Amino acid sequence: MVSTSFCEEAQLVDSEAMASSKNTDSELKIRDFEQQALPLMPQLYGAALRWTRNPSDAEDLVQEAMAKAFVAWGQYQQGTNLKAWLYRIMTNTHINKYNKQQKDPSRGGLDDLEDWQLGAAESITATTTRSAELEALDHLPADIIRNSLMAIPEEFRMVVYYAVVDGLPYSEIAEIMGTPVGTVMSRLHRGKKLLRILLAEYAIEQGYLSPDKQAQKTEQN
Amino acid sequence: MAEFDCEETKALVHEYLHNELLPDQQKDITTHLALCDSCEEEYDLEVYLNQVIQRSCDEEPPKKLAEKVLARIKDIQSH
Repeated sequence: MVSTSFCEEAQLVDSEAMASSKNTDSELKIRDFEQQALPLMPQLYGAALRWTRNPSDAEDLVQEAMAKAFVAWGQYQQGTNLKAWLYRIMTNTHINKYNKQQKDPSRGGLDDLEDWQLGAAESITATTTRSAELEALDHLPADIIRNSLMAIPEEFRMVVYYAVVDGLPYSEIAEIMGTPVGTVMSRLHRGKKLLRILLAEYAIEQGYLSPDKQAQKTEQN
Repeated sequence: MAEFDCEETKALVHEYLHNELLPDQQKDITTHLALCDSCEEEYDLEVYLNQVIQRSCDEEPPKKLAEKVLARIKDIQSH
């Protein structure tokens, strides 16, 4: 028998229609994601570089975060802050990966641990004048600035990055990092302080900044 | 409204620069800065450091990254 029954034919048409509507849905989802999320990729890459500290890991992190975001796309509420949503996914992706790769017990209590470092740091910048520090900044190449940012603990580094480079409000940074706003504030203060110390140390090493001479100047004034 | 002293003013530098203060606080600090060279220098330095950081963190993503991301989500969708 060659001919199919009416019933079988109807089923065939039905499943074809379902398949094609499924195709349209998935095409729509890809198009939506491509139009909305993909343009934010350069910003995600900038933050990923700060998390991972090297370009190839940053690429991997962006790809992974974007893949996760695509899978969760149905949960994104249209009209809400997409960049913050993507950043949050990337934070989780990075932290999960990092925790799986290595468990570092010294990472606990980070926010309390840095006080001695800050104390040492303040004694360096206390002997320099602000105007000399400002002038010295002009001599520092971009890679020294980037390396110094990489040298500070990641929780501080990311808050400095989000606040200074991305210009995000504290409340948004808190949401992205999964911390209270007060933590964002103290990490920004500590991060900037550490950064200033590292840069001052480098500038002194290179002879762009002279703590003794400046201290004498201050005394004379 | 209580005025800010130098210590308080210096402690609020980031909140001021990132517009995280109440309008009254913001105004009081602006007034303090106009009258206090030491605090103004501190603020200038932080402003300049922010600019330097912004300029240094301007790396472009690799050209192929968007394609790779797109290929990956299409791959996810087809499974």
